[in-house]
Amino acid sequence: MSMECQHQQPETAHLADQIKQAVADKKLLQIVGNQSKVPLYDDAEPISIADHSGIVDYEPAELVITVKAGTKLSELQAVLAERNQMLGFEPPEYGDSTIGGTYACALTGPSRPFRGALRDFVLGTKMIDGQGRHLQFGGKMIKNVAGYDVSRMMCGSKGSMALVTELSLKVLPLVEETTYCIEMPEGEAILLMNQMAGTSLPLSGCAYYQGRFYYRVAGEHPEQTNRVEVNACTNDIWKILNPFRPQLEPGVKLWRLDVESTNPAIEKTIAVGMGGTRRWIASEKKPKHPYTTLWQSRFAPRHNDTPQVQKIKQGLKKVFDPHHVFKDL
Amino acid sequence: MDVIQALEEAISRKNVLSSEEECRPFECDGLSAYRQKPLAVALPEDIEQVKRVLRICKQYQVPVITRGSGTGLAGGTLPLQDGIVLGLSKLNKILKIDPLQRTALVQPGVRNIEVSQAVEEFGLYYAPDPSSQIACSIGGNVAENSGGVHCLKYGLTVHNVTMVKVLNMDGDEFVFDEKDDGIDLLALLNGSEGLLGVIVEIKIKLLPKPDAAQLVMAGFDSVSACADAVTAVLEQGIIPAGLEMMDKFSIKAAEEFARVGYPLDVEALLLCEVDGSHDQVQVDSKRVADILRDGGATTITISQNEKQRIALWQGRKNAFPAVGRFSPDYYCMDGTIPRKRLAYVLEEIEELSHKYGLKVANVFHAGDGNLHPLILYDANKPGELRETEKFGAEILKLCVDVGGTITGEHGVGVEKLDSMCHQYHGPELEIFHGIKEVFDDTGLLNPGKAVPTLHRCAEVGQMHVHNNQLPFPELERF
Repeated sequence: MSMECQHQQPETAHLADQIKQAVADKKLLQIVGNQSKVPLYDDAEPISIADHSGIVDYEPAELVITVKAGTKLSELQAVLAERNQMLGFEPPEYGDSTIGGTYACALTGPSRPFRGALRDFVLGTKMIDGQGRHLQFGGKMIKNVAGYDVSRMMCGSKGSMALVTELSLKVLPLVEETTYCIEMPEGEAILLMNQMAGTSLPLSGCAYYQGRFYYRVAGEHPEQTNRVEVNACTNDIWKILNPFRPQLEPGVKLWRLDVESTNPAIEKTIAVGMGGTRRWIASEKKPKHPYTTLWQSRFAPRHNDTPQVQKIKQGLKKVFDPHHVFKDL
Repeated sequence: MDVIQALEEAISRKNVLSSEEECRPFECDGLSAYRQKPLAVALPEDIEQVKRVLRICKQYQVPVITRGSGTGLAGGTLPLQDGIVLGLSKLNKILKIDPLQRTALVQPGVRNIEVSQAVEEFGLYYAPDPSSQIACSIGGNVAENSGGVHCLKYGLTVHNVTMVKVLNMDGDEFVFDEKDDGIDLLALLNGSEGLLGVIVEIKIKLLPKPDAAQLVMAGFDSVSACADAVTAVLEQGIIPAGLEMMDKFSIKAAEEFARVGYPLDVEALLLCEVDGSHDQVQVDSKRVADILRDGGATTITISQNEKQRIALWQGRKNAFPAVGRFSPDYYCMDGTIPRKRLAYVLEEIEELSHKYGLKVANVFHAGDGNLHPLILYDANKPGELRETEKFGAEILKLCVDVGGTITGEHGVGVEKLDSMCHQYHGPELEIFHGIKEVFDDTGLLNPGKAVPTLHRCAEVGQMHVHNNQLPFPELERF
């Protein structure tokens, strides 16, 4: 299947015009998709990518798909599934989420330690910068070292630097997976998930939730259940954890911590994901850890960069958005 | 006091080279057609000394060209006459191995292969394997975002690095970690060719070694049949660990060189390696063989043991020196193209070969579209080098025109500056220069490399690529 789109520029010209107009009017724009994740703020005017949707080009044998940023994840995944392929980064579905919004928020699912993060699958982007210029970085090649890797850098920018209109992504063959679980204490589970990841078992998920260690393996491995403590279970656990939306007591907040996989059990943890590198903490107070995000105000920035890194980020923002037309999130 | 004296005072005399003879080994990297003696070479022993070198160079406004092992193929570490080469070969310690976490913390001068050797006892290895891996350094790998034959399945350097510690010209430390929030500066540093900072520490991922690997070798009557068969393998959901293709000339050269039993009556040869658990490898290699047979393979060999598997790889791994025996000089290109355009691109290259009267051998990383045409020429024949350059430039232009790129894994360096003008346009290049300025407002870090000036692109109007002649002939080249 190949659906070439020859008229990308005119299709997004109105978006470039809106940006230029906002610059002229000294207005602030908030880039939105289907608003499944970030609310609209009062101080900005929305500029929507939601209508810029659809598959631009899909070459299953090249393992590459090019999509418009407003394409819904569900649509994208359906197109890939028809050809027995999938997105390698297992993005969370917040309800009509777009690929552009998922990229902007750099959201990857439980398979991250085994298959890679979203940015690992990004090959190229088209975008409109804060001056309304159409730009193109990277391409459709799995290997490409010409120029700085702007397409990967922009992943996680939350719409603060440029309006990304199109993405080329590496895709993977669809795999059948089986989940197994074992009841055990958290500390033992963290150790075990690290030990297992050092073996040739084709893992694609390792987590701990409500007293059970869960692991997911590509293919079927009946030998796993030879051990009495191991049970085969459904793959539902990965949907519970991705996206993770637990019910909490009033006053208790949900914190997302990114840690080393071998980090010992942390107090008030309600789930361990991503092979031990992701810890979900339910507590009133902020856990003392450098990579902590308050997850109830989802996708709020951490503001834990050093002043020097902040200066770099602000400098890069200016390169792409010199008039500060895009709202920082 | 001049800059050399200042450096000698700061990091001791023995760590600063400035005489003609001492500097000679540093006057070029893997792209030896370009040579320039630097003002001096600084070889600091630790991060503190690196900081001192940078601060002094800033004070004296002297450019800094950071260098690892000097195996780069694009002239990325070509010295400047008035610049210092900052060699990081003495920062060569593996600082920490964490087998349970499957990571290693290394200094930039650690050689690629050393990491895998050091972690072998834990059943682990470092996946990116550029062909120069016995010599090239991890710091250089990050700077170039190096690839290797196993990229399709295991990723490039950028996929296997979780943290870098970087210095700017003030000697300030920056840490970019995969756990960082917001834009991905770690990704940006990978492949930045020494223009954004000096990498002094790197944390890398280690993977469990597969239990088994098996190689399927298949010959085809045509290049297009071979490319179609690769397509069929990938469409069937198999991601081979290695997927290498050779054209007739390369097969002949490799077989004459290595005598491994490659079929000589075929137009294209495919080497397809699958790895994983013993059972999985058994299943996958049979499936691959069936797919290739259905795809018209005229000969199929499946390796029966490790010895045979390694032997069959030897031909391919020695393809560059093997081809090199047919000619006094050869020039290695590094374009990337969509695989579906391979047959067309090879036909075009064949036509160009007739036009220029220069022979070409083609080897191809078939999984990820990375094409390495080797143009054979004789630098001693008047005008032949110039013709080779023009030929090479046309190949790179062809790669871009079919939707590919001018460099898959070697980098831009000085070699492909003009070709960058063909791949990127004004606004993108402006952005690149803007990024550089944010990280390095002094403009002293590896100036003039990787990103052409707009002025240069305007002047060039078309591409112009220079000669390449590989040093390190003992290294395998993929």
